[in-house]
Amino acid sequence: MELKDIRRNIDKIDRELLVLLQERMGLALRSTKFKETISDTQREEELLAKAERLNLDLVERSFTRQLLRSIIEESKRLQKKEPLLVAFQGEHGAYGDVAARKLIPDGACIPCLEFIDVFRGVEEGHFDLGVVPVENSLEGAVTQVNDLLTTTDLKVIGEARIRVNHCLLATEVTDYRDIRMVYSHPQALAQCRGFLMRNHLEPRPYYDTAGAAKMLARENPRAAAAIASALCAELYDLEIIKEGIEDEPSNMTRFLLMARDPYGKRGEKTSIIFVTPHESGRLHAVLQLFAEAGINLTRIASMPLRSDPDNYCFFLDFEGDENDAAVKPVLEKMEGMTISLKRLGSYPANGTGC
Amino acid sequence: MNNLKLSTREPEHRTVVDVSGVQVGKGFTVIAGPCSVESESQTVETARAVKASGADMMRGGAFKPRSSPYSFQGLGLKGLKILAKARSEIGLPIVTEVLDPRDVSWVAEFADVLQIGTRNMQNYSLLKEVGMVGKPVLLKRGMYSTLEEWLNCAEYILSEGNPNVILCERGIRTFEKYTRNTLDLSAVPAMRELTHLPIIIDPTHSTGRISLIGPMSLASVAAGADGLIIEVHNNPAEALCDADQALTPDLFEDMMRQLRPLQSFMERLPRLKTSHQAM
Repeated sequence: MELKDIRRNIDKIDRELLVLLQERMGLALRSTKFKETISDTQREEELLAKAERLNLDLVERSFTRQLLRSIIEESKRLQKKEPLLVAFQGEHGAYGDVAARKLIPDGACIPCLEFIDVFRGVEEGHFDLGVVPVENSLEGAVTQVNDLLTTTDLKVIGEARIRVNHCLLATEVTDYRDIRMVYSHPQALAQCRGFLMRNHLEPRPYYDTAGAAKMLARENPRAAAAIASALCAELYDLEIIKEGIEDEPSNMTRFLLMARDPYGKRGEKTSIIFVTPHESGRLHAVLQLFAEAGINLTRIASMPLRSDPDNYCFFLDFEGDENDAAVKPVLEKMEGMTISLKRLGSYPANGTGC
Repeated sequence: MNNLKLSTREPEHRTVVDVSGVQVGKGFTVIAGPCSVESESQTVETARAVKASGADMMRGGAFKPRSSPYSFQGLGLKGLKILAKARSEIGLPIVTEVLDPRDVSWVAEFADVLQIGTRNMQNYSLLKEVGMVGKPVLLKRGMYSTLEEWLNCAEYILSEGNPNVILCERGIRTFEKYTRNTLDLSAVPAMRELTHLPIIIDPTHSTGRISLIGPMSLASVAAGADGLIIEVHNNPAEALCDADQALTPDLFEDMMRQLRPLQSFMERLPRLKTSHQAM
């Protein structure tokens, strides 16, 4: 090993230390939702003592104590700031993370494994807010999320439209000409099919775009690259070989910001879900109310009901607040015309949430 | 020239190559920019200056074929990314050279036109590779090549299914030492007779002297060329290659001020009679 190789490894370890610290701080912030006070002297002492018992000959005990002590102090300082905990699905750097940062710039973004973890976590008070993708301009509705929207008690309090800018990422030591395999979420791979074919690259499905980037940085497999956001390049120290590699440049995903309480102020848009009786003209009658009141619809989608596959529920987004003079009577009339009507909430249009 | 099936077909038809909206083969297309991409600021500044003077596209090398292996070899992928940045900021299509068949698909991801340099004109595996990519190709004349050899190389690209070939005369080796090469301006009307492909002139490498670039550029317009490719550097004294033959933005602007009116004047003239029968 030469000096430059040694230094490259040191850089890599430093980076991993910081990424682990980021994860540790995230967990510490999550712990605040379970405890009364930030400080717990007994727990701190246990933690320090346990670390000291580790027999590491190059890391002296006094240094261990000093290092952990300063990490604990920083963690407590962070907890005192009480940032909003914003849950998203995927690893750090996922497009949900990009949307969460746009919606709540000062929040602490917490990764979750599944969409249901985001919903349950907010419902149970483990997170303050959740950010979930509801539809994509190329792929249509995100069914899992729409399904969860039908059963949740959470309210929509904001939305963000995120331009999906797929980047081809590789580690610094990888020569782009050697790349043969590309790891990413199947949907991202599908959206970049033309690029992959033109450059004779083999798609390798992975559970998450950011997860693929993280794996690349940690394991550095030979001849491999990942498709993920530009944020991932920053977080995992990867090189952007090419930006905007998707076949269709107008690739947008719309995210919803979910909370336990409604928005509270006048919203610019409203989302509802309803079910009509299975009789001719019922859906038309509902839509006619909106047409007559001059309310512009921004989204109409239908999904089979889980409990009754022969019947459908309808997702409707429209301009205006549910308490607006034009909207309120329409929703009241709808109560009598539908089997169920669920008001997800009114919220500001694209971008500014909370 | 019996083997030339595609490049000599239909002499009355003229190929117009569409480069991201710029029509090469219609009017007079001016491509300008530095010999090599050295930094983002140098590339973007030069692009801004040449656009302001009326250039239609920009050039810039990311992979450089240098006579010596110890000379600056270009920034490679980093250079391509800088060119893409300059395009998105300034809005001029990009012409850049590709040297290695393994790079062709990657260069095509970033550039609007792939340039085959004079030293690679007869690199047949490279020609086949660019023939298979859906991007226009600027094919420079080999410095020791006849017109027929040159057309045969265009044929390689056309026969792979890529009809968008732009020819570029860049001077040939003669015994003259005052100029870097000898500009064969007669290649323009000659190629008009032989092929339907557009032909442009490189007055920079053919003369290698700043003082000769302007006059030869104007002569190219008069000779009926379809355009120019010309080296411009925002600070030639600090250029990493070909420092003594790049125009400054000022010199380029001065030349363009004469070139565009000459172009309109030439467009108003009737076509010159070129054979005894027509007299």
